Amino acid sequence: MSLPPEAPPVRLSPANSDSAPETRKEPRFFEVSPLGEERFFLVLAVFIGVFAGLAVVCFRLAIEWTRIALLGAAPEPHTLRILIAPSAVGLLVSVLVIHFFPQVRGSGVNQTKAALYIFNGYIPFRTAVGKFLTAALAIGSGHSLGPEDPSLQIGASLAWALGWRMNFSREKVRLLAPVGAAAGLAAAFNAPISAVLFVIEEVIGRWSAGILGSVVLSAISSVVVVRWFLGSQPLFRIPPLTLARPTELIAYAVLGIVGGLAAVIFAKAVGYLRPRLRSWPRWTQYFQPALAGLIIGFIGYIGFPQIMGAGYQYMDQAMHDQFTWKILAILAGLKILATTLSFVTGTPGGMFAPTLFVGAMLGGAVGGLERHFYPHLTGTTGTYALVGMGVLFAGFLRVPMTSVFMVLEVSGDYSIILPVILANAFAYVISRSLQPTPIFDLFTRQDGLDLPSLEEQREESVLHVEDAMKPPGPVLDSESTVQDAFQQIQKAGSDIFLVRMAPSGWASVTRELLQRFVGEGKNALTLGSTLPTQRLPYLHPDYPLEMALRYVYQTPLVPVVSRADFRKLEGVVSSEDVLSKYRVPSRSPE
Amino acid sequence: MNQATLQPVTSRPPVVIAALTLLAVLGFAGVTRLVNRFVQQQKALARHLYQQGLNEQQAGKFPLALEHFREALTYDHDNSQYQLSLARALRDSGRTDEAETHLISLWERTPQDGAVNLALGRLAAREKLLDKTMQYYHSAIYGVWTSNPDENRLNAWFELIDFLIRQNARPQAEAELITISAELPPRPDLGLRVADLFARVEDYDHALAEYRRVLDAERANLRALAGAGDAAFHLGRYRTAVHYLEEASGIDSHNDQTNQMLQVSKLVLSRDPFLRGISSVERERRLRQIFNDAGKRLDDCMNTRASISPAPQLNALPALKAEWTQMKPELAGSRQQNSLGFPYALMDLVLRIEQQTAVCGSDAEDQALMLLAENRSEVEQ
Repeated sequence: MSLPPEAPPVRLSPANSDSAPETRKEPRFFEVSPLGEERFFLVLAVFIGVFAGLAVVCFRLAIEWTRIALLGAAPEPHTLRILIAPSAVGLLVSVLVIHFFPQVRGSGVNQTKAALYIFNGYIPFRTAVGKFLTAALAIGSGHSLGPEDPSLQIGASLAWALGWRMNFSREKVRLLAPVGAAAGLAAAFNAPISAVLFVIEEVIGRWSAGILGSVVLSAISSVVVVRWFLGSQPLFRIPPLTLARPTELIAYAVLGIVGGLAAVIFAKAVGYLRPRLRSWPRWTQYFQPALAGLIIGFIGYIGFPQIMGAGYQYMDQAMHDQFTWKILAILAGLKILATTLSFVTGTPGGMFAPTLFVGAMLGGAVGGLERHFYPHLTGTTGTYALVGMGVLFAGFLRVPMTSVFMVLEVSGDYSIILPVILANAFAYVISRSLQPTPIFDLFTRQDGLDLPSLEEQREESVLHVEDAMKPPGPVLDSESTVQDAFQQIQKAGSDIFLVRMAPSGWASVTRELLQRFVGEGKNALTLGSTLPTQRLPYLHPDYPLEMALRYVYQTPLVPVVSRADFRKLEGVVSSEDVLSKYRVPSRSPE
Repeated sequence: MNQATLQPVTSRPPVVIAALTLLAVLGFAGVTRLVNRFVQQQKALARHLYQQGLNEQQAGKFPLALEHFREALTYDHDNSQYQLSLARALRDSGRTDEAETHLISLWERTPQDGAVNLALGRLAAREKLLDKTMQYYHSAIYGVWTSNPDENRLNAWFELIDFLIRQNARPQAEAELITISAELPPRPDLGLRVADLFARVEDYDHALAEYRRVLDAERANLRALAGAGDAAFHLGRYRTAVHYLEEASGIDSHNDQTNQMLQVSKLVLSRDPFLRGISSVERERRLRQIFNDAGKRLDDCMNTRASISPAPQLNALPALKAEWTQMKPELAGSRQQNSLGFPYALMDLVLRIEQQTAVCGSDAEDQALMLLAENRSEVEQ
């Protein structure tokens, strides 16, 4: 991945001023008062959504115009333009990418993620312009790529352009990229929920309630803009699914398995070829997209122009039984080949639409084959194609939640949810076991970066307080006398004891202190009256162990109490208990 | 420019919001122009492709037409006309599932559209789904039509009736015919169409009434005359049949079917022994003639049976001949002739002879004999 030029300066918030010594103070266009920053950021998120929506509308028009100009209104095989256009445009795009827009290679998802975690949210506006031009040319000329990931990057870049001069804190400036990314993706997909989930799953890489509001606002406002201009019809329409019997779900499970395997082949091919082609001499990079274009053009020329470009209209046709299952299977295979070629040669464009295409064709093919042998299956080709889309999304892009909502949003059909969840689960599990590193994480590592991943987080074993806590020793009662308490601890091995206070709360007392009370003749006094009024902090067994770290240095023994009854002691933790848990060797990062 | 000089204007968020709003409005205006241009271009492309599709459809290049209709719809998603044409083309090329998806999508948008309902009805008819067909056709008949509503409704109605007849759903077809006949505008061509359909469902009473209504308007309508004659003939009203068939034959003397029916009708009338108003001598003469003709037919068929392919009916001929021979002396005795049961017993035998000798071929006289034997007292008086 090419790194962007040096990011412009960002205002330091008091919390992070010590961590960014390179940042310098310059005159600002706009100063936001600290109190209004949060609200103003939300307002800005709406504007980011609006501008991203406008940009994506223009982007889609540009792709369509390019396609009509280069391939014709109704691309037909055996025409010379189909053969030549992707190749010639590939050459032009490689020149533009190498000389003018080096940051626009590939899909744009990783660049946006890198902007968030490495460059303080900075994606130069020039990237948006370059991505717009080169991706429109590449997709319009028939390269097997989609407009969604570029839209995501364009949105993120626009967000930076709108927000960086507002003098937000560094934390907020960083968030500009995911906010813009969500807006761009939502506009491209006409699917706000999927966009929000994808940005959380793949770009931000962690669940964060703080950013959710602005991401949702920007996604919704961009979708409103797109629907204003291009209509609100769902991307695909299929008849509602009625499952005649639960056993039909087996058919979808089979689709999940096949889809999972296809996703692994797809990911392995891309992951294997990408670094190898990039390591070839620089001069070859001028010709790599052209060569990919030539092969794609040839596939179109010999009779499969459907695999060229994003291919949404062909997905729709597949859903409406236009192709036999054999043709669908061939199209799925050819699309994997074409997309791999386009992507690994660095042609700007996204992986979403091709993934959906492969999924739709594969779903239709598997469904067709299954219905050939079991004609009683009630699912239509459209149903299987839609489920197939989700399957590839879950298996290839490894975004399980996004994949489910994406299918629901692009079809507007809730009846399909059960088969989608089932098939996606199978695909996800197979893909994860055969291809441990998700595709976007793989690209990140191939680019020499280390960015957080939600999947890794999901797989990390989180330590809880209950993992470190020890059984409590003798518990003293605040109502008992000092004398009784002292006798109670005589046989105990430890030197510090918890005291259950009345009416609630916990305190601690040491053997030494009790000895002193006895020496001072306070035997008849209650323990509660002799101890300081300050209560101990307490934990619950299910708290993350990190939380215990906050308290174990304040007090030598922290009570772990039941959530149902705060006076019931489940155990105790000390600093030694917590640290000993962290000292256990953990799995090293891959 | 330093920060101090910028502060008064720009430190207030409303200023920035106003600036962004202005920018957004400008952006909207610009994109609106672009999108309008884009939409116009797409619609023009769609029109062009649709026209190409129509031309190819007319030239019989159905797969190409289908492709162009599909492309046209890609460029103009919401165009019902394109979608309907595509659905029709898909249906005609046997891709009913896809056609149905398109039609259902259209129907969801405009459930009252006559053309869409008709297309769905045709699709259901193709799959021989009686209830669904009737439902969609009724929606088409009572639906909204953008052009020629009356004509389209009637055509849909006639199509439905035709479908019902083909499916042997005669009661439903008859019900539709009775309803349509009450709502028909006074046009002879439509009257004829309904009368023909009544005849097809063998409701000859209604058929005759409809033909007569047509003849009230056009006295010399050949089709109506022939149809009325045919309906009357099937109703056994031979005198009426002769009346209409003679008129029809007078206009077109070369129509074999009419001429033969006329001949048979006349024969029936001239040989009917049960005809009211004839003398007992004449009745006796007619009975004897029928009996002798049946005997002659039996002999002819027995003589020629060697030359025709073996048929099980022929095995019964000797027994029939014996029966005929046994009855012959009874015919000569006046007592038996005058008894109430004898003419019927004779006609029974004639009927059986005619039925068994049908394999030897039949002419007008045989048909007349058969009709007389079948109908007996039902012959029009």
